Amino acid sequence: MPEVAQSQLARGMRDLLPAEMRRVRRIEDAFTRTCLRWGYGEIRTPVIEPIHLFTAAGTLSPQTLDRVYSFLDWDGWSGERVVLRPDSTIPAARLYAERFPPGSVARLFYRQDIFRFAEDDSAREEWQCGVELMGETGRRGDIELIFLALDALAEAGAAGVVVRLSHAGIVRAVLAAAGMPAEAQAAAYDRLLDGDGKVVDEIEARLPQLNAPLRLLFDVDGAGSGYIANIRAALAAEIPGLTPALDELAAVVAALEARGVAPRISAALARRFEYYSGIVMRFERDGRRIGGGGRYDELIALVGGRRVPASGFALDIGALLDATAPGDDERAVRISVTAEADSPEMIAAAYDCAAELRRAGFAVDTIDEGRDGAPCVVCRPSRPRFVLRHGGSERAFEGAAELMAALEHVR
Amino acid sequence: MIRLALPTGDLRRDTAALLDAAGLGIEGYAAGSRALRFEMPDAGVARVFREKDIPAQVALGNYDAGICGLAWAEELAQRYPGLEVVRLRDLGYARSGLWLAVAGDTCEPSVRIVSEYGNIADTLARRMRLPRYRIFSLWGAAAAYPPEDADLAIVPATDAAGVEAQGLRPVCEVLASSAWLIANRRSLAQKDLSLLLSRLLDGRVPAPPSAPALVAPPALGLRAAERPPRTRLRLALPDGHAQSHTVAALEMAGLQVDGYGKEDLVRRPRIAFDAVEVKVIRPQDMPQQVAIGNFDLAVTGRDVLFDHKIQFPSSPVEEVVDLGRSRYGLAAIVKDVPADGVAGAVRWWRAQGRATIRVASEFPNIADHFARERHFGRYSVVPIAGASEGFVPDDAEILIEGIETGSSVRANKLTVLERFFESTNCVIANRRRPEGALRATFDALVERLRAGALVPAGAATEG
Repeated sequence: MPEVAQSQLARGMRDLLPAEMRRVRRIEDAFTRTCLRWGYGEIRTPVIEPIHLFTAAGTLSPQTLDRVYSFLDWDGWSGERVVLRPDSTIPAARLYAERFPPGSVARLFYRQDIFRFAEDDSAREEWQCGVELMGETGRRGDIELIFLALDALAEAGAAGVVVRLSHAGIVRAVLAAAGMPAEAQAAAYDRLLDGDGKVVDEIEARLPQLNAPLRLLFDVDGAGSGYIANIRAALAAEIPGLTPALDELAAVVAALEARGVAPRISAALARRFEYYSGIVMRFERDGRRIGGGGRYDELIALVGGRRVPASGFALDIGALLDATAPGDDERAVRISVTAEADSPEMIAAAYDCAAELRRAGFAVDTIDEGRDGAPCVVCRPSRPRFVLRHGGSERAFEGAAELMAALEHVR
Repeated sequence: MIRLALPTGDLRRDTAALLDAAGLGIEGYAAGSRALRFEMPDAGVARVFREKDIPAQVALGNYDAGICGLAWAEELAQRYPGLEVVRLRDLGYARSGLWLAVAGDTCEPSVRIVSEYGNIADTLARRMRLPRYRIFSLWGAAAAYPPEDADLAIVPATDAAGVEAQGLRPVCEVLASSAWLIANRRSLAQKDLSLLLSRLLDGRVPAPPSAPALVAPPALGLRAAERPPRTRLRLALPDGHAQSHTVAALEMAGLQVDGYGKEDLVRRPRIAFDAVEVKVIRPQDMPQQVAIGNFDLAVTGRDVLFDHKIQFPSSPVEEVVDLGRSRYGLAAIVKDVPADGVAGAVRWWRAQGRATIRVASEFPNIADHFARERHFGRYSVVPIAGASEGFVPDDAEILIEGIETGSSVRANKLTVLERFFESTNCVIANRRRPEGALRATFDALVERLRAGALVPAGAATEG
């Protein structure tokens, strides 16, 4: 048992042990393989970014901004703060604006961490696998991303994934119809993003002409095309601004249904992010969010580029660890190699033997001498050159080739 | 035993009256005694702090309750939302507000916001959705900054007229503040504070049920504009304790500055030197102001420059003249520690089971640097605003503090473990000198200031 009684781990932070890291790598590798097969290229953005990337209206919601880790850098005498990356999409948009020809289609993916303060013991560092598709791809881009996410999740071993869809235009249309001034609309939108349900009643009070309650939009867990048709029938006449958003949502839903995916529909999914402007997607398993994303057509312009439509998603590795089967232990078979005598020549011979076994795919230690039951190869100065001890028995080998053949049996 | 934190400064008189009326009168407190610790008969102990330090001391649990302006409690809460502080009651005096104020209709593309309440300023900047902003968290004199050195200021004032009297245009009151009784959440839950609470929460003063919240300002509608190039050299002079030393240096240098006397201090005094303008600000705020180019020269302390350079190692600020006055040293100070050096003291605290060594200082960056360099292991820096002698040994293990003659140290029965830095007042400048005609003015003014040095001014000394 560990000797340290009290952990010195910072609150909200997590160690990952070898067994957990093997699962993390399995998820990341599955994600990477999938993205590469779909023609995406990997990027990595810095952990530290200037705060102003995230503070402009249309980026993060106020509550999320209140939880960024911000500080003055060692050369921050100008008074402008920097942050530990609280989100990966905004840095990716910056990267695109600065490094790609404006308007070009860029297929990018990343595996990196984000940092957000939590008042309880929840994780403050989250590892994500994400994809960004920049350029004029229209709703085909949204459809591609949803199928790509499902492919990556299946490759990682996550079964029973539910796709939940929304459209940022639904909430915006409702707020506009409620006749709120622009500032009040923005504030109500932020409250919705931050999960304040009371705002629905306030909006509804401003829409006495509605034939159906707004709760139909915000409280009902809808299913596919049928639910979209119901919303259209109940609310679109009084809120005509809903129609374009519902049209787009219906087209994406129909494409998914045609391939046997049955998405759920929600009116407000884009928690914590203001930058979503079109289709918003969330991936769930057993009711738990394991990833999400959406279209953000205005974001690249907000971070200094030209207006370029874009869309993306990120999968939460922490949630996926719980959502995927442990899988086979992928460790290579471990072997000990040791020298019978402590002479420099014999130690060199043992290291040569170990190197050859590692090239053959074994995991080889040169210290343990098979103490935990692993096969142990003893290198000798005279014939026989090798002795293999395993399972209480010993076998002698004159040459490396014979030894290797025997070890293949062990494998 | 109840531990109560009481304010020095402006709140002292009214707080003393409140305590007297509540039957908790503390001898010497009202009179402004130099003592920092008082016995409260039958109740516990009271310790006097700068008002700004009280919320942190209550949050840390060093004190069960405290009295301070609500604005300082809010300032700490904005940075640390999970704070263990409960706002119990408006005590009905020291009513004032925090106001957002502007000086004009334009702002820099990265909006400059000044305030003593830096965390509140940061929150308001986010609430206003300013796309780009800079916060200058000041020691004081925020109202003096706009329009040349700031676009927005968050300043205390009783009403809009009070903001206008400071030469600013009020936008809105962002927080209605007054003196409040605050308490540590755990103390409230676990400790008998009934004697204190029954006396201070007796309904003598009608009070609203909950503390006012921060108000999000409206959109400001400021137009972004670059500053025009400067035609005059800018010199910053200090107020407070440093002022008399600076006045002496200026007199010796033959520099007349009208409006910089003890009795006639104004924020923009006039100097008898062509093409130079002067502003009076806090000396602690000067290095950053020089670093960003708001001022070409400033008179401050080498200790302040040292603190700035530790926070920003590549800052372009340097010392150009040692004025040789206001001489004192920075020292590591303890009380009742049987050790004659810092290493021995650290070993002693560890042997006593102290997991975290608390280092209190008005120079948080220097304190942090000191603790790192001396391998303190696990430590925390407690930034303080003053009344420092009372911090050890109860509220901190060690104090990083300026000492002059040592009389205050002896009077408080403190021990100097190590004197590690010598400070005098000095003239600082940006390594990037002004260009064109301003360069000649810069050189001429530095030469004149050099004539005000008490000691022959040699090469600039690094902090």
